[in-house]
Amino acid sequence: MLNHPAPNKEPARVVQELAEYENVAEHVKLTQKDLEQNGFTNNPFFHVIIAEVPEQHRTKEGQRKIGFALYFYSYSSFVGRAIYMEDLYVMPEFRGKGVGKALMSKVAQLGLAAGCHQLDFTVLNRNKPSMDFYFSQGCFDVTATIGYHCMRCKGEALKQLAQL
Amino acid sequence: MEYKLRKAEPRDVPDILRLVKELAKYEEMEHQVTLTEKELLEDGFGDTPFYHCIITEIQGEKSSEDPKVVGFAMYYFTYDPWVGKQLYLEEFYVMDEYRGLGIGSGILRHLSNLAMKTRCTGMMFVVAENNEPSVQFYKRRGAEDLSQEEGWRLFRFDKDSLVKMAAPSEE
Repeated sequence: MLNHPAPNKEPARVVQELAEYENVAEHVKLTQKDLEQNGFTNNPFFHVIIAEVPEQHRTKEGQRKIGFALYFYSYSSFVGRAIYMEDLYVMPEFRGKGVGKALMSKVAQLGLAAGCHQLDFTVLNRNKPSMDFYFSQGCFDVTATIGYHCMRCKGEALKQLAQL
Repeated sequence: MEYKLRKAEPRDVPDILRLVKELAKYEEMEHQVTLTEKELLEDGFGDTPFYHCIITEIQGEKSSEDPKVVGFAMYYFTYDPWVGKQLYLEEFYVMDEYRGLGIGSGILRHLSNLAMKTRCTGMMFVVAENNEPSVQFYKRRGAEDLSQEEGWRLFRFDKDSLVKMAAPSEE
């Protein structure tokens, strides 16, 4: 199995699959073009690592790219450089083979090489298989231990804030 | 009292670290701040900044006095593959004695404007659930609590776990 950076159209398909897994497909508004512009120009807003299987293991539809991790660099006012993993996904028929672990390991390596001190990400509380997997890899639940809640201001609320 | 909101410059780094530590103390986590002035300088004002910072300074009572930095916000741009660019507010703090003067609202207004100008679809941040004043401050302004409403939990690998995970597997 190969892990490599992703200069092509696969991310949109796997992002849609991940959204369906989380039952929120109607919230996915990005188009192929947005992803290409924002991820693959000179100053990308995100990076993607893709897991690809050899020819003989491809899916019935002929797909060889069977998982991905999308991440970007962030910053902690406490410890400095950090890395944020926004998405981690492996197609169902390729789970349980260490692909997720390998993708995360790659993100960790890249983060450490860039001088990062921590790796953050979010998980849905109803996604028990994922939570179990992450705990087994050595992370902790910041929301449960420190009580941090993720907040967002968008749409009308953002417009109002800009006009106060 | 006049205050001025401006982009932080390299000379502001000592004040930025001072305010980071004050906020950490307010959250009872000051022992967790390991960031140094040197790192803040390299990471914020080098070729590829990891963060951006705006500060609020007030003019001293005498015109001969240096202005004093009394508030700041540290932010960077993130990415939500469902809806696009987000502005992530990492730190936002106004010194105790300068609260209630509209400095905080001014900072948020500036950042919201910036978010819209740079085509971000949202502004994101975390708040400690026991920080009631802050939670109410944000909810009053229309922020959604994604942890409560959608069940998102923030997970973290610290440095040691990160090193273990990055190690090549035995297979």
